[in-house]
Amino acid sequence: MAIHFIICFNKQGILRLGRWFQSSGHSLQDKNSLAQILKLIMSRDSRTQSNIIDFDDRTKLVYRRYAGLYFVMGVSLEEDGLLYLAHIQLFVEVLDLFFGNVCELDILFNFYKAYMVMDEMFIGGELRETSKELLLDRLTQLEKLP
Amino acid sequence: MGSLRTFIKDVRAAKTLAEERSMITKESAKIRTRLKDDHLSLSKRRKNIQKLLYLYILGEKTHFAQVECINLIASDEFENKRLGYLAAMLLLDEKQELLTLLTNILKSDINHPTKYVVSMVLCTLGTLTSVELARDLYPDVEQILKFSKDRYLLKKAFQCAAKIVIKDPYLASVFHPYTVKIFSMPDVCTHGVLLGVNQLLQSMATVVKSNEFNDYDAVASTILKVVPELLGILKQTNSSTLNTAYDVHGVCDPFLQVETLYTLRLIFLTFKDEVSSYNSKFTSILGKMVTNVESSKNSANAILYEIVRTVFTLESQDSLRVQSINILAKFLSGKDINTKYVALNSLLQVVSLEPQAVQTHRKFISRCLFDPDISIQKRALELIFNIIEDSNMKETVDELVNFITLSDGEERDLILYTVEHLLTMFDIRGIKSKGWTLAVVIRILKSMGEHLTVEIIGEILVMINNATELSDKRDIALQLLQLSLSKDQPIISEDNFGWKLITVWIIGEYANLVLGEPGVTDISLTGYLNNLNNIYSDDHKLIGYILTAALKLSSRISDPGCIEKLRQLVKAHEQNTDLVIQTKAVHYSILFSQPKEIKTAFLEAMPVFIKNVAHELDSGEKAISRKPVQTDLLGDLLSDIPSEKKPVASISNKPGGGSLDLLLHSFTNKNPSLGASAPLTTTTTSSTSDQPVTIPNIQISENIPSSALEIHTSSAIQVFSHVESANQGSANIRLFFKAKSSVTQLAVLVAVSKTQKLNLGTISRVNMIPGQVATQLLTITGSGILKFRIKLSSQNGINLQFDHKFDTTL
Repeated sequence: MAIHFIICFNKQGILRLGRWFQSSGHSLQDKNSLAQILKLIMSRDSRTQSNIIDFDDRTKLVYRRYAGLYFVMGVSLEEDGLLYLAHIQLFVEVLDLFFGNVCELDILFNFYKAYMVMDEMFIGGELRETSKELLLDRLTQLEKLP
Repeated sequence: MGSLRTFIKDVRAAKTLAEERSMITKESAKIRTRLKDDHLSLSKRRKNIQKLLYLYILGEKTHFAQVECINLIASDEFENKRLGYLAAMLLLDEKQELLTLLTNILKSDINHPTKYVVSMVLCTLGTLTSVELARDLYPDVEQILKFSKDRYLLKKAFQCAAKIVIKDPYLASVFHPYTVKIFSMPDVCTHGVLLGVNQLLQSMATVVKSNEFNDYDAVASTILKVVPELLGILKQTNSSTLNTAYDVHGVCDPFLQVETLYTLRLIFLTFKDEVSSYNSKFTSILGKMVTNVESSKNSANAILYEIVRTVFTLESQDSLRVQSINILAKFLSGKDINTKYVALNSLLQVVSLEPQAVQTHRKFISRCLFDPDISIQKRALELIFNIIEDSNMKETVDELVNFITLSDGEERDLILYTVEHLLTMFDIRGIKSKGWTLAVVIRILKSMGEHLTVEIIGEILVMINNATELSDKRDIALQLLQLSLSKDQPIISEDNFGWKLITVWIIGEYANLVLGEPGVTDISLTGYLNNLNNIYSDDHKLIGYILTAALKLSSRISDPGCIEKLRQLVKAHEQNTDLVIQTKAVHYSILFSQPKEIKTAFLEAMPVFIKNVAHELDSGEKAISRKPVQTDLLGDLLSDIPSEKKPVASISNKPGGGSLDLLLHSFTNKNPSLGASAPLTTTTTSSTSDQPVTIPNIQISENIPSSALEIHTSSAIQVFSHVESANQGSANIRLFFKAKSSVTQLAVLVAVSKTQKLNLGTISRVNMIPGQVATQLLTITGSGILKFRIKLSSQNGINLQFDHKFDTTL
């Protein structure tokens, strides 16, 4: 069970965060694949279409849109899509608590902090902490460091 | 040089794309030059790397800074290290040789007094685990697992261990004891740590059977101790009342629950015999979970979905399986699109195991046809075709036709998929009530004719042609013609090409059956053909049909004026610029002027098309496929669940060519389902030709039992099949080959669908005189509908292949 990649981009299709976990061996990190992913996700109607979609013969995309930002995870086809929706939700909730009502600009200007949040939650594509309390504790400590 | 913040602001403020581009290129070049400067202070370097990471996010090339990450990590200051590690994780990957430079620094940092540094090393190691790094650093990771009481470090160490074990399976023997040990330290067992333990266990289960892992017993005994703990976690998290730290919409840590389920699933599959004593406990917990989890929220559904997958992987009891299917069906009735999507996917996976249980939820599945999401529609369609049976046939087909007629032609792929599968189904099941199937076809044609492919139209023509009851043919011809000739508001859309083509063909073939019915006269039919001939003069396909219809009609009507009109019609095309049409017109003109007796004999209605006839492979180059239908069936045989694009793709424009490709593909790829490993060449034949003329096989009766089914007949050979036994998962089928003319060195190749495996017995004889019978046993294991493709060849010229599908499902 592992995430191949996590990306976050805005309505204009500009990437704001991207983390590719090499261990999956199928990263789709090249510009072409990325453009396809963005195009596919942005063309979908959130009210009538599912948030899980097969992308190629190995990867499906699980995504959710929060205001102007899309969060997308690429996972293997046989994975439980609903679970990764929950992953995304948790990630966004933690970002929200950490930044305090997070918005695109927070992530843009403090991308390294956003990566810090991501790295506290996911390691090598696996979720590693599920308690928001513990995560925030830890993140606040880390933020205080020089 | 400005700060990172200013740079980001500037890029954002760029008014045009070109301006932005030039800004980025300039900055990138600047950073590159600066980083080359050996005297640049670390704080300046840091600033540059920060900007560089921003450029990385924007998709710029950043490879030139890879060494720089390592320089930053090597610094003593935390600030530098932190950025260095972040940059390394983003810019480096496992394949790079630079990682070897990193090894020593990681090795010293993992023993760093500051736990935050250790934590970053673990994180980096988890992200960039190369085999070398795994081997160099595993002792340090082990030290942390052994001595640390810090739950942050422990959870990361477990996760690193999981990655390390995947890279080097032998290291599983180092790490396995820690998966038990941790349960004796409840104070550090946070959910994060438990997730880590789960992942290590998953890695162990994945690698333990590979590479002749030599410490299997030790790992297995550890696993045996871990299982009760895992079951405990499951039970506890699942039944625990609100725990705010882990609460996700009223569900206690769905992530841990799913992770634990997955681990247990892997363990119960890998260490099946060792853990069998826990089977009933696991099953009872699963049973409780099913009732415990309230399916309303996404996270709860994620758990339910995982339970269902576990139930089906572990071949649990039937009751639990049925219960699981009911859960999935409940997903379908809800409003959440994602849950529906997931449920349909899972139902598709299990439908072959529990068709009856899925069947009971057909109503919900049908409803999904009208979901706005096409991927849901598509999956619902697939599922419906999987559960159609005689008892619900009419109702289901009605729904399907409703579905495609209402779809307004927006989703052509779905329409084609449906029509094609309906026709194949009618064909394969040999539906008795032809009248009803023809009525269905007319309905489809009426509303969807313009969307159908030429191949499908061809298939419909065969179907009408092959209808056994004359009255059925008459009914359908009458219906089509009366609608087509209707003077009122045109009922048939102008663009409905399929309808027109079929009407034209019907006029040619069956005008005599309907002439004299209200509205159907010599004049009206001739007028119809003439009219189409004028409108579609540049459509060569239709013109070809019109020419034939005109010629045939002329022998069935008596009005001399009309006959003359038809003659003119044909004659006019003698000047057609299309050579094929011109040739046809010239030939037809000659035929036209022949005496009536001669004409009539020539222009009889077409005889029954023989479907599923073997097409001779002339010199392996041109397979003459009599009907596109064939191509279609072949395509279908290759996979049970064709993809969305398949219906279109599987139809080749060059009849024959496509099917040959498929055939070659089926016989030459190294698919384990192939009965004979020999490729299409002569290997099989030559291996048998060394043997005596007959292979004595005393036990096999060569009398064809009366219950055997003839599945193929040609001038040279007859083939019968007899299902000797068919249980769940395996079937024995005996084939009988009865020679009609003498056969030397018969070679039989059999292929089954991907979900099945085939064991091909020895053939009782390879040489036969007319009337003699050879027999061969096939053992098919796996799942799905029982069907196969047989290819026969012999030294004296038999070279054919055909498909057969049984009513039985494994």
